[in-house]
Amino acid sequence: MPDTPPTPLASPAYQPLSRRRFLTGSTAALATLGAGGLLAACGSATPSTTTTSSPATSVATARPRRGGTLRAALSGGSSSDTLDAQQGINNVDFARILQLYNPLVGYTPDVVPELALAEEITPNANATVWTVRTKQGVLFHNGKELTADDVLFSINRIVRNNYPGASMLVGLKINEAKKLDTYTVSLPFSAPYASLVEAMAGYEYYLNIVPVGYDPKHPIGTGPFMYKSFTPGLQSTFVRNPHYWESPGPYFDQVVITDYPDETTQINALEGGSADVVNLLSASASTSVKSAGYGVLVSPAGGFTPFTMRVDVAPFNDVNVRQALRYIAGRHEMRDVVFDGDGLLGNDIFSIYDPEYDHSIPQRHEDFAHAKFLLKKAGQEHLTVELVTADIAQGTVSAAQVLAQQASQAGVTINLNKVTVTEFYGTNYLKWPFAQDYWYYSAYLPQVGQAFLPNSPFNETHFDDPHYTALYNEAVGTLDAAKQADIAHEMQQIDWSQGGYIIPYFPPVIDGYSPRVKGLLPSETGLSLGGYAFKRLWFA
Amino acid sequence: MTAVAAPVGRAPTRAAHPVRRLLLERVGLGVVTLFAVSVVVFAATQVLPGNAAYAVLGHSATPQRVHALEVQLGLDKPAVTQYWDWLTGLLTGHLGTSLANNEPVATLIGPRLVNSAALVVAAGIVGTLLGVGLGLLAAFRRDGLLDHALSVAALTVTSLPEFVVGIVLVILFAVVVSHVLPAVSVLPPGVAPWDDPRALVLPVATLVIVIIPYIFRMMRAATIEALESDYVEMAELKGLSRARILLRHALPNAIAPTIQVIGLNFLYLAGGIVIVEVVFDYPGIGQALVDAVSNRDIPTIQFIVVVLAAFYVVANILTDVVALLATPRRRAPR
Repeated sequence: MPDTPPTPLASPAYQPLSRRRFLTGSTAALATLGAGGLLAACGSATPSTTTTSSPATSVATARPRRGGTLRAALSGGSSSDTLDAQQGINNVDFARILQLYNPLVGYTPDVVPELALAEEITPNANATVWTVRTKQGVLFHNGKELTADDVLFSINRIVRNNYPGASMLVGLKINEAKKLDTYTVSLPFSAPYASLVEAMAGYEYYLNIVPVGYDPKHPIGTGPFMYKSFTPGLQSTFVRNPHYWESPGPYFDQVVITDYPDETTQINALEGGSADVVNLLSASASTSVKSAGYGVLVSPAGGFTPFTMRVDVAPFNDVNVRQALRYIAGRHEMRDVVFDGDGLLGNDIFSIYDPEYDHSIPQRHEDFAHAKFLLKKAGQEHLTVELVTADIAQGTVSAAQVLAQQASQAGVTINLNKVTVTEFYGTNYLKWPFAQDYWYYSAYLPQVGQAFLPNSPFNETHFDDPHYTALYNEAVGTLDAAKQADIAHEMQQIDWSQGGYIIPYFPPVIDGYSPRVKGLLPSETGLSLGGYAFKRLWFA
Repeated sequence: MTAVAAPVGRAPTRAAHPVRRLLLERVGLGVVTLFAVSVVVFAATQVLPGNAAYAVLGHSATPQRVHALEVQLGLDKPAVTQYWDWLTGLLTGHLGTSLANNEPVATLIGPRLVNSAALVVAAGIVGTLLGVGLGLLAAFRRDGLLDHALSVAALTVTSLPEFVVGIVLVILFAVVVSHVLPAVSVLPPGVAPWDDPRALVLPVATLVIVIIPYIFRMMRAATIEALESDYVEMAELKGLSRARILLRHALPNAIAPTIQVIGLNFLYLAGGIVIVEVVFDYPGIGQALVDAVSNRDIPTIQFIVVVLAAFYVVANILTDVVALLATPRRRAPR
């Protein structure tokens, strides 16, 4: 889609584009930029929150050039790395899977749902049956054309194996999902599901389309790059897909993605000329990368790293205790310490980029006097709690340390229990009374479905409020956008005044790149390197 | 391992008897040791919180998915059964299947083992030659400027951890000061270390710098002791050249105690490569072991630990054999 805006989603309920355009003022420019590859405006789309510093970004207007091998030194990965289109686990899996496959719906860099392999997604009048028509002429890497059979196969594979994407297709009557014609399928749900498109847009649920008979040992998809080699925990090499359905791009002949366990090594690779892009840097590392003459891309991401309080166990079952801790969190200070001031401030409500996010709810600031008042009300003036922390995402441990320090000023003792990542996600995961977590950006209602309903797969706060659940069901039951937004606002009031999350900030995503890499755009998804959109990059 | 084996070739045949006895005894004990190690390590993995299913699923570990994966990986079986399956597999030549990605452990770890062995052998040989050579030189020029300089340098380096040495080398040769060598030693899968020797230079240099001081100091001390002995005085009185005295009379006597230190350094290398592998992102077994532990990938942990333990056992035996061969009076038949 080089010069035309993304095909509007067919339903009248799906007009999120308009609001986002209003917010950024230049989504259309950005979309053209992403596809057309004009670098000039890079970083200027959201000038207030994005900083792109590189000697190169000021040099503009160069036309994208074909060729070269992109070497990406990416943080994380292990021998459990996978190329399975539908069950990636870690960050490096993301980067690889996004090269090989496409979903039906994805996100633009500023998290507007955008049709990918789907040409049209239309609900019936009460959003219980969705009709998905795919684009025609899309070829898999083996030359086969994408059809409705592949879509049905893919969705069956996700739902029947209970892969992560299944949690975004709750209520899908898989046995009644059927093919209508060569390119069209119908997906019936047991209850109205008006937020299906936003739900499917989240990349972290890996709702990717694979060909009938797909075997992850032969990772065939429709993505911009094709499989050449892969060794879990080490490296993968992908080559350009000459028949990629989206144009222009991809530009690189090859993409080599290598796992890096350590940030220092990543930076050495970049500065020693062994890598072209590195990702997920800390704020301190970004300073040194910048001063060495390399580019730093700071994306104001919409992912979040909440402190999670279980609302069903003492002392957090008392809403006063939860609210007190929320008033103890000094958000500005925490963001300054952990991310050097980058990133958006949090207000204990998630999905900040959703058009349904209620910006009228007052920003919560630290207020020790009010916190003490609430604790007294709860009879917990000398509150002592244990906070379980681990290096699960950039800055989580530092944030926990800052919170503990801030709490001590308010007379609350937070004992930190730092565990390994493996232990954190071990047998006590989703059961820790007071811990942390990380989430990539998701729209509001799908995020609620993941974590705030009694049957949510990741209900880490054990939140179970019948009124809230009823509101959710009402919201996903209506295709009326205005009505849905009103309900979402009511739910966010509950999040703000009773929820189990403390969301102090939305962590920025910091990446480094060699000046010869062009076309990088900040992404609000929470994924690195413009959402690992290597198809848009090229070498000057 | 092969590097340590090399000196055995010098074994004079008349020494066979005590050496054979030592070998038989130590090999038998070694096998018992390895078995004990495998039991202890398996028990330790059982104590670690979580299991491979949780570790692999990470953030997406819902109880349903964990349970399904546990069944698929056989983690729902009793621990004793799991251990027995592993042991019987091992004895029939099956090293097991990785819990992290379902590949045979041998295919996963084999190439990494070769990479690490290349690192250990190259660093061990270079470090030994340089350490012994410099030790001889320092003893020969005792109390000279060179001797003092070397001793101070050795002491300084001893106090630096290997990641500091590695990072200093990277700054000097790859990132800030000059760009003559690659800063990271990522070997693409299927590429052997000797196909890309430039990638080996900095990791090997780091390890060499770390082990040289120990060998150097031992060699220097032992050579000085030999040079002060009666037989060297006798040789001097006979008018032999200083070089001949050093190489033919002092060296053979100084080498025996140094061999123990060289052996210890090879053992150290087997563990010390972990940090160097991380600093240079070098795909060896050190990195694989760290990864396997965080993935709770028991068959891989077991395999790597048993290989490392076997290396310790074999290296110890070889060290003792070589030391025995280098000390004629200890191998006289009793």
